[in-house]
Amino acid sequence: MIPAPAVVDALRRRRGPSRATWLGIALFSPALVYILALVGLPLVLAFLYSVGDVTVGSVGYRFVGLYNFRSVLASPAFRRALLDSFVFTISSQLVVIVCANALALALRERFRGRGLVRFLVLLPWVAPVSLGAIGWKWLLDSIYSVVNWVLAQAHLVNRFDPPMWLGQPALAMASVIAVHSWRMIPFSTVILLAGLTSIPKEIPEAAAVDGAGFWRTHFQITLPMMAPIINVAVLFGVVFTFTDMTVVYILTRGGPYDTTQVLPSLAFFTGVLGSDLSEGAAISVFLVPILVVVAILMLRVAHRAEIA
Amino acid sequence: MAKTGRGFTRREFVKAAGLGALAAAGAGAPGRARAQPKTLKIIQWSHFVPAYDKWFDGVFCKQWGEKHGTQVIVDHIAIGEINARAAAEVAAQRGHDLFMFLSPPAAYAQQTIDHSEIYQQVAKRWGKPIDLGHKSTFDPKTKRYFAFSDSYVPDPGDYRQDLWAEVGYPHGPDTWDDLRKGAKAIKDKRGNPCGLGLSQELDTNMAMRALLWSFGGSVQDVEGRVVLDSPQTVEALKFMRALQKESQTNEVFTWDPSSNNRGILSGKLSFVLNAISVTRTAEKENPEMSQKIQIVRALKGPVHRLACEHVMDCYVVWKFAQNPEGAKQFLVDYIDAFGEAFKASEFYNFPCFPRTVPNLRELISNDPKGKPPDKYRILGDVLEWATNVGYPGYATAAIDEVFNTFVIPTMFAKAARDALSPADAARAAAREVQRIFDKWSR
Repeated sequence: MIPAPAVVDALRRRRGPSRATWLGIALFSPALVYILALVGLPLVLAFLYSVGDVTVGSVGYRFVGLYNFRSVLASPAFRRALLDSFVFTISSQLVVIVCANALALALRERFRGRGLVRFLVLLPWVAPVSLGAIGWKWLLDSIYSVVNWVLAQAHLVNRFDPPMWLGQPALAMASVIAVHSWRMIPFSTVILLAGLTSIPKEIPEAAAVDGAGFWRTHFQITLPMMAPIINVAVLFGVVFTFTDMTVVYILTRGGPYDTTQVLPSLAFFTGVLGSDLSEGAAISVFLVPILVVVAILMLRVAHRAEIA
Repeated sequence: MAKTGRGFTRREFVKAAGLGALAAAGAGAPGRARAQPKTLKIIQWSHFVPAYDKWFDGVFCKQWGEKHGTQVIVDHIAIGEINARAAAEVAAQRGHDLFMFLSPPAAYAQQTIDHSEIYQQVAKRWGKPIDLGHKSTFDPKTKRYFAFSDSYVPDPGDYRQDLWAEVGYPHGPDTWDDLRKGAKAIKDKRGNPCGLGLSQELDTNMAMRALLWSFGGSVQDVEGRVVLDSPQTVEALKFMRALQKESQTNEVFTWDPSSNNRGILSGKLSFVLNAISVTRTAEKENPEMSQKIQIVRALKGPVHRLACEHVMDCYVVWKFAQNPEGAKQFLVDYIDAFGEAFKASEFYNFPCFPRTVPNLRELISNDPKGKPPDKYRILGDVLEWATNVGYPGYATAAIDEVFNTFVIPTMFAKAARDALSPADAARAAAREVQRIFDKWSR
């Protein structure tokens, strides 16, 4: 006699979750623990600290409400860092997307040495960021700058008064944007290259038969088809850039006079070096609403890309 | 369940055997603990003078460890990593028994033992500490020492004698006014700029405080009230603005703590404010340049002749230290041996207990490496012009945050670059300092 479906369901419920479900839980648990321990807990602590009076040396905790937020809003250094964070992020992402597009188009084509070029393009991403930034610090050094030496040899700058790449506000911001972009371009290139190779060849070929040139094909066919993947690259880039302080910390330490200070570096200076953990946490918590919006956008875009 | 011949089950047997093994291990443990030497863990910076680290690690710590049956482990870290490492150790409540800061760590007062006992023991043998050491490690509110300072590093001026002689100052500048006139003359004649940093780094922090104090300004008064927004501060800012325009280049906004060393050693700069690491490096690596670089006292301003210590060695024993008694004893014994430390540091570290180096003036006046041998003689009266970072008050947690968030260098840099007028720069910085002081007093 074959048991009725309702009876089978009842039996399954009595036995509890299936082996497949247990396997799923076992595979998922490490990631969950990892996220809770290394992302969730610090985030909760940051919120707690931001409304408390915690310093690096304090032993207790006292709730102070929004005192730390009022305090940082009164600070010109904070307001400058907030502005710089947007300038740094938006500018570097513009540079990254334009360059990554060009690189992806070039690397899609077959040519001798393509493997080597792909390897070289990836180097800035795989090398430790601190090493790369220290290298750039020396390249842009005030005394031993190779960049200035080359420019002086080419008679493009005065060797006795060369540009101070990290010493003038506009040049310093341009330098940190350039170095950060140099580091991020490989990541976006790989993403865009994957998107580009997934476009069926017949589509651009059909456009070519219809008389469309390179630019028309690129802007009216390729780019629209790649829009979801470009969005993913941009949103990841925004998150990485908004939360990064390595390049700024190593190249300029926020100088000259706070003109390249960004929120993560200011939070570090205030919280760890300046000993006021609560105010440092309040500064970093300002990033949360921005990052939440970006995260929601990322999830939506990823969902749309999945559907497409 | 199967039973053995005498009524033991297998499980009971295994349990009994396990307990027996644990008991044996437990009985053996004290024996092993007795056999293991005690450990003393120390962390401090990689000294600018490598010979000091060789002496400290290889001679003093080794001998002290042998004498006290203790394994002494010394870890060295870069100067810029000290505060982050301290914060990490406190957060984990684990780390080293002795932690050395290079500026007064008042913010950590609640995490450190009261160091009064160490001061008292040392004072019995070597007399009272200098005021600079006292004000850098004593909390007037709690009446306790949150750290112990063994030494400090003077911050004289380093000048190129050949260049300064050409413009009528064969012995270098003596006043801030001399500096402005001479540096301009050198830049106009030879192109060599002056090198006072205006960046967010240690040397700028020290140099700008020296300038501020010499003009009569200060961050706080004796009572710890914020007094930065003053006519004296504005005058100091006007001076720096003029010096920047007349005699410096924009590279000073890019510097890290070693940039001015590199600048003067490469032959580019005419004057820097720095410790004698400049001249010591020249003696080793560039003897010709070494003869050209001489040192001067802190420059005299309209009100004072004052400079900050370049770095202030401050050892702390954490409350969570594993071997606090060993750490205390180590510091007491270290002061007994400070005469050797002074020589090993090549006169870089000056004693907070002057009696430990009774012949200091004689030693620095006859230095075999110095050219001329009395090159460092002017450091003999350093205590008349060196003071602590919180001058004229104590080095409090608020002063520590003002120091480590570079409020004073930023104020001077903004005025020097015309980002703000001197009066506005002073006002803005004073507001920022007041905000920080308010936080720490709540």
